[in-house]
Amino acid sequence: MGGHRLPACDPQTKKLDNNMSKEFTIRINGRDIPAQEGETVLDVARRSDIYIPALCHLKGLSPVGACRLCLVEVKGVSRLVPSCTTYVHEGLDVITDSEGIQKCRMVILQLLFSERNHTCSVCVSNGHCELQAIAENLGMNYVRYPYRFPALKVDASHEKYAIDHNRCVLCTRCVRVCKEVEGAHTLEIIGRGVHSLVLADLDGLWGESQTCTGCGKCVQVCPTGALFEKGKAVGQMKKRNEFLPYLMSMRSLNR
Amino acid sequence: MPEPAMDPKVDHAFLDNLITQYRHKPGALLAILESAQDHHPRKYLTKETLEYIGKEIGVSRSQIYNVVTFYSFFNLTPQGDHSITICRGTACHARGSKKILDFVKNMLQLQETNSGYADKLCLTTPDNRFTVRTVACFGQCALAPVVSVDERIYGYMTCRKIREIIEKLDREPVEPVPLFI
Ligand code: SF4
Ligand code: SF4
Ligand code: FES
Ligand code: FES
Repeated sequence: MGGHRLPACDPQTKKLDNNMSKEFTIRINGRDIPAQEGETVLDVARRSDIYIPALCHLKGLSPVGACRLCLVEVKGVSRLVPSCTTYVHEGLDVITDSEGIQKCRMVILQLLFSERNHTCSVCVSNGHCELQAIAENLGMNYVRYPYRFPALKVDASHEKYAIDHNRCVLCTRCVRVCKEVEGAHTLEIIGRGVHSLVLADLDGLWGESQTCTGCGKCVQVCPTGALFEKGKAVGQMKKRNEFLPYLMSMRSLNR
Repeated sequence: MPEPAMDPKVDHAFLDNLITQYRHKPGALLAILESAQDHHPRKYLTKETLEYIGKEIGVSRSQIYNVVTFYSFFNLTPQGDHSITICRGTACHARGSKKILDFVKNMLQLQETNSGYADKLCLTTPDNRFTVRTVACFGQCALAPVVSVDERIYGYMTCRKIREIIEKLDREPVEPVPLFI
């Protein structure tokens, strides 16, 4: 597999090794776009109004490349790469919407839907769900894989919030915000593969967690209706995650 | 004789020693968990042990639980006196390991419950005599079907052979396992 190597980056900061912020142009879908060292392909695309679906990515949280919906083609690289974890460098030439990519995204999206019980019509987040929005954007109108219909529980033991595992896509946004921003690290992925669940502490009830501060950040960053505030009816759970970029920029000023 | 379902206490002295030994070394968490599991007479990690380790080395409980539920090596339930591990890899499957697994489960009257989060099967008889588990491949495919009993590998396994092995183990006197460490 020839092709050129993606440049090395510091695994902690996910920034390129030298701290001089260089500027250059990269090419996305044949368009020349100015970019800065340290930005990801997804950052640049978003800034330039180029649509790339993304589910696990959220500005302000560390990138993990978990959902694979943001896959793009990079010239000289023989496999598709996630744009949320691919850092720009000079001469980068990216395609975001070839037929191959669309097909691949559709497969991933349909697998996400078939894995758990996404019944939008009775979901608290109906109409405000990022997964639903991506499905609409990509024009998904059927799921070609058999649904797994797993029997999953709802943990409503928390005073203010609840988690419905039936709607979780395991994007780990809640885990990361709880660990990286709130510093509580209450939630984690427990188990492996199809048996993975987002659970609190040592597999306890969320309401009995001794580490949860009740801040609700996890609820606000969750892209689906998996995490929600109690007392919300169908379609009422609108997430407010604008706090995150603001909080992160205030923190970096105070550093 | 069945043991009462009780969590043995945490061996603080042992864990403290272990933690000092590994502190600040990369991969400390895995090494500590492995030794702690091995130290327990029933070869498993109690919740109290996990909490204690987490507190002492400054790792959140959720992170610890994430680790121990990811690796099938870690046990969260007490293990039997003898462990029977049946390979469910491709080669062994093709040579009838499913039949052997069903036979052993039947013989020991084990019901398949959704035991924990591990992908792999891990069932223990109520009298704690035998634990039956599965693995993906022993790397001994030429000997398929492969079964390991108490860390000894047996190739070309048949239902009759495994029955003889289990019956022989069952005739051995039961060594008492201390309830508390
Ligand atoms: S409410 Fe806050 S502390 Fe509790 S799990 Fe969610 S993010 Fe973590
Ligand atoms: S609960 Fe929500 S934020 Fe957390 S992993 Fe599931 S979908 Fe993602
Ligand atoms: S947004 Fe890039 S992999 Fe999920
Ligand atoms: S498949 Fe059983 S040893 Fe390889």
